[in-house]
Amino acid sequence: MRSMFSRAVALLAIASPLLAQEHEAAKVDLLSPATGLMFWTLVIFLVVFFVLAKFAFGPIVAAVSAREKALEDATAMAKADREEAATLLAEHRAAIESARGEAQQLIADGRKTAESMRADLLEQTRVQQEQMMDRAKRDIEAEKTKAVDALRREAIDLALAGASKVIEQNLDNAQNRAIVEKYLGSIGTR
Amino acid sequence: MKSRSILFALLASVCVAAAPVLRAQEPQGAAESQAKAAEAPAAAKIDIITPHITDAHAIEVPWPSLEEGFLTKEIELPRWAPVHIGSVEVDLSPTKHVVMLLVAAMLACVILVGAARSQARSARTGRPPKGYANAIEAMVLYIRNEVILPNVGHHGEGFVPYLLTIFFFILFANLLGLVPYMSTATGNIAVTATLAILTFLVIEIAGMKALGKGYINTIIFWPHDMPLMMRVPMSMILSPVELLGKFTKPFALTIRLFANMTAGHIVVLAFVGMIFTFHSFVVAPLPLAMAVAIMFLELMVAFLQAFIFTLLSSVFIGLVRESHH
Repeated sequence: MRSMFSRAVALLAIASPLLAQEHEAAKVDLLSPATGLMFWTLVIFLVVFFVLAKFAFGPIVAAVSAREKALEDATAMAKADREEAATLLAEHRAAIESARGEAQQLIADGRKTAESMRADLLEQTRVQQEQMMDRAKRDIEAEKTKAVDALRREAIDLALAGASKVIEQNLDNAQNRAIVEKYLGSIGTR
Repeated sequence: MKSRSILFALLASVCVAAAPVLRAQEPQGAAESQAKAAEAPAAAKIDIITPHITDAHAIEVPWPSLEEGFLTKEIELPRWAPVHIGSVEVDLSPTKHVVMLLVAAMLACVILVGAARSQARSARTGRPPKGYANAIEAMVLYIRNEVILPNVGHHGEGFVPYLLTIFFFILFANLLGLVPYMSTATGNIAVTATLAILTFLVIEIAGMKALGKGYINTIIFWPHDMPLMMRVPMSMILSPVELLGKFTKPFALTIRLFANMTAGHIVVLAFVGMIFTFHSFVVAPLPLAMAVAIMFLELMVAFLQAFIFTLLSSVFIGLVRESHH
């Protein structure tokens, strides 16, 4: 160690003429450590070390880590809150969407129902009308046939009455025949 | 505004650095005039640099008098009889650098413990911390998370207090050297050697703890994957290298810090001394500007060297802990 120091001194002397001058002038011994100062350095450093380790670095690191933890907690909480809010929002959105769909469905259903109801009513009316028309036609037909039948029966009755009248007067008479025909013709025009 | 005040502080410290020159010349001049009033002051060599960078048994304090001390008074520190430990004589009397170390230690304790209290208070009240405590916290966290923990390796939390103390202790001692009337204790090889030896012990104990019995492999090179014929000569060649490597680390730390802290002051004083060498005020602005520039550099170096000491200590601890042979 000692020789190393002296070698370093030599190096310094070569490197720095200024220092070399000083060395010659006042015998400066920069490179031999004073034991007393070493002792005091050791004592002071160890005291500083214990004081700082106990009262400074521990609390500083603890405070910082506590703050970091608090920040991390806050971040995690905020993240959780945000996720919750996002889920809630999604839920609400889905609910609104489904409600809208339902409303749409309801409207569509109503429209469809109304449509079908209208169609039904129209159909029903048409059917009823047709039925009424049919009935009326049938009634008219029936009345007509009935009238024709009655007329025919009446005609026959009249014919028979006429004939019986003729037969009462003249059974085989060409003139009679003409009378009947004339009679019948008069009925036909009536 | 702030930069202006820093500039002012730097200028002031340069002036104070220059003060010893004036002081040194005055008694000289007085003595000369007593002896031979007619003759000009002899070009006797006056050393202004050595007293500034070496230790002394006196401290300088500001003094409101332009008389002999030029705004400075020297206070003699008590001298105690040396203590004999074995054959080693230890002079335990306090010196300038002991006082500087004490001041640095007190500053470090007050500032860091104050910051820690402020942090704890803000943590208790839940309010964000403010003021200088944040700056201290930023430094502590940076050194801890970016310098110490990545370099020391796994489970390196135990080394954090020691290395942080090294950083702040060296930083405050370095910065004190830039304050007028103060002196750089870390520019004394006894201080840096003590810190480096402590770091050396921490490194080796960390190695013993991490490697257990395998620690012996960091001293004796014994490659298991080589044939025995090769192993023995390899071990004989490389073991001294390994052992030397252990001691070069603290040696490098010692010299690096000491030389860096001393060199800047020598350069500043050399620039200031140029004014007196040229015996002219005309040349003064240039050396003064250079000295101010060097003072700015010194401010950076004060942080840088504390950082480097911490970084290298961390790297060395990490190296020995991970050296599985």
